[in-house]
Amino acid sequence: MRCVLCISCDPRCIPPLLDFLARRHHADMLLSAPPARAESCADVCAGSPAPRQDVPLHPMHESEFMAGIEPVESLHITAATPREHMQRFCSNRHTPVIGYLSYTYGMEQYGIAAREHSFPAGLLRRYQCVVTGCTRTGRLRLLADRHADSGLVDSLCRLLQAGSPEPPRPHTPVTAAGPLRQSLTREEYQEGVRQTQRHIAAGDTYQLNLSIRFDLPLATPPDTTALFLHLWLNRPAPFYALLHDGPLTIVSTSPERYLRISRGTVLTQPIKGTLAFDTWQPQLVHTLTSSSKERAELSMIVDLLRNDISTRCRFGSVRVTDHCSTFVVDRLIQMYSNVHGILRPDSTPLDLLLDAFPGGSVTGCPKLRTMQIIDRLEPHCRDLYCGSIFCFNGPDHLDASVAIRTGWHDARTGVFSWFAGSGLVTDSVPENEYAETMAKARKFQEALCP
Amino acid sequence: MLRILLSDNDDSFTMNLAHLLHAATGSTPQVVNHTALAARAPAAEQDLVVISPGPGHPDEYPCYGPVLQSGRPVLGICLGMQIINCHFGGTVKALAGCVHGKSDTVVMTDADKTLTVGRYHSLHCATTGAELQVTGRTPRGLVMALRHNSLPLYGYQFHPESFLTAEGVWCIRHALRSLHIL
Repeated sequence: MRCVLCISCDPRCIPPLLDFLARRHHADMLLSAPPARAESCADVCAGSPAPRQDVPLHPMHESEFMAGIEPVESLHITAATPREHMQRFCSNRHTPVIGYLSYTYGMEQYGIAAREHSFPAGLLRRYQCVVTGCTRTGRLRLLADRHADSGLVDSLCRLLQAGSPEPPRPHTPVTAAGPLRQSLTREEYQEGVRQTQRHIAAGDTYQLNLSIRFDLPLATPPDTTALFLHLWLNRPAPFYALLHDGPLTIVSTSPERYLRISRGTVLTQPIKGTLAFDTWQPQLVHTLTSSSKERAELSMIVDLLRNDISTRCRFGSVRVTDHCSTFVVDRLIQMYSNVHGILRPDSTPLDLLLDAFPGGSVTGCPKLRTMQIIDRLEPHCRDLYCGSIFCFNGPDHLDASVAIRTGWHDARTGVFSWFAGSGLVTDSVPENEYAETMAKARKFQEALCP
Repeated sequence: MLRILLSDNDDSFTMNLAHLLHAATGSTPQVVNHTALAARAPAAEQDLVVISPGPGHPDEYPCYGPVLQSGRPVLGICLGMQIINCHFGGTVKALAGCVHGKSDTVVMTDADKTLTVGRYHSLHCATTGAELQVTGRTPRGLVMALRHNSLPLYGYQFHPESFLTAEGVWCIRHALRSLHIL
């Protein structure tokens, strides 16, 4: 791809631009911090009057974004897709690739047969045009494929220079065609916690992530673009993604990085340990970081992620920094750590993406037996939930999220689905884990059916 | 260079252990799944067999008898130590108040050393097998390290490869010295 335009705009023009690209071109987009709020936290605290310096924001609170316009080529990944095919697809240094991998892809890699499902195992996609930019500076770049339609390139150039003709449409709650279905009731979820604790006592697992699927049948197709931009502007998180894949429109609002690999430097940032709040108070951070249960939850997953990146990292290169750091998102304080490594020269970012998959923070540990138990305890299929959404910026640069706080509309069924879960350990209190799961689910629930 | 065979019991810390073994010895361990161990060359071709941690009870892993009887050096970690213990008639039972992802102190009795270690276990060595000698305990008396009186077998209940363990390299080198391969 070549850069055909590089300009600066008022950052406030970016949401209308993204709105236009999503509606006119069904653009796929990956967003981090929204404009103007990149430096603010009033929104993450949901209106509580917190002094800015008190609230820890995500340290990777970046402001870059990317939108892919008009696919040139899509590769739907199945369990049988050879790695070389995927590698070849991502191999052009100048062509960004946006994609996702479903949790079900990881199940198959571990020999666990996924129950019947209609969600693809994964997708890689290249585009005629890509818009990249920064919501802090207003810088915009338009990249075009050699074979891009010249009319498309011209119209996008004009659009970027002039700004979007229309303000974004406001989000409005949807009209349900039936009651909200929940795959595990409160009682069933809490029974799942107790069953997990029996497995922990038997030594089968140390920690297990148990989730609930929420399905809302809709009377009419929702305005997913408006929903996505509404959440992005009002509930910012570092790994927003809007993807269009046939009948599926995916709205991901993840706060968690699975992997970033840049010229061989590997970073993974597992999140474990959660404290929900209604009114922000700085001392809540200490409440979370001094909990031995929450610290142990994170430590287990740090050791698991060390292991998972060690499969492809140089001996002696894997290290942990900033253990039990915190940031605030979705009215939750989240604890995380940084795990670093250096990729082995014989390995590619794609190798590590696939070999470490699915992310350890959403399975539990040890992975194989824990995933087998999850498969028995959860009546639903996770599909993309707990998978990953990612971007290759050339074969040597990868940034990938853990697809949590993620939902999608399926036009075949008219259902909007979202998920939430919690990491269970030996000293979990079933009622508290259910409450944590529901706190993570409320972002979609409040936006769709307040 | 040491020839190290690392037997993986479908665990998720095995590669941490491989990296630690490399840091302690300079050798690259060969990792094999425990289900392929029987088909592997006999332990005689190895300087050291390491039995990884893993889920479940030692009874689920019957493949280790020949390795443990071979007279060749074996280091067992967590489940690996419990497998050694059961092989020699010890018992492994549920630990009331099991511990995962937490650090603790271990006093080593075969070295002048107190360690800060990462613990992950639901089960523990309730009684130790014949000819096995406890070489490390928590302050509350739980078995955290053991060795065989005459055979080159050493085990740690805690996880030297965890980032919660402060001196993982020392732990490996200490075990290898005890096994007379360092």
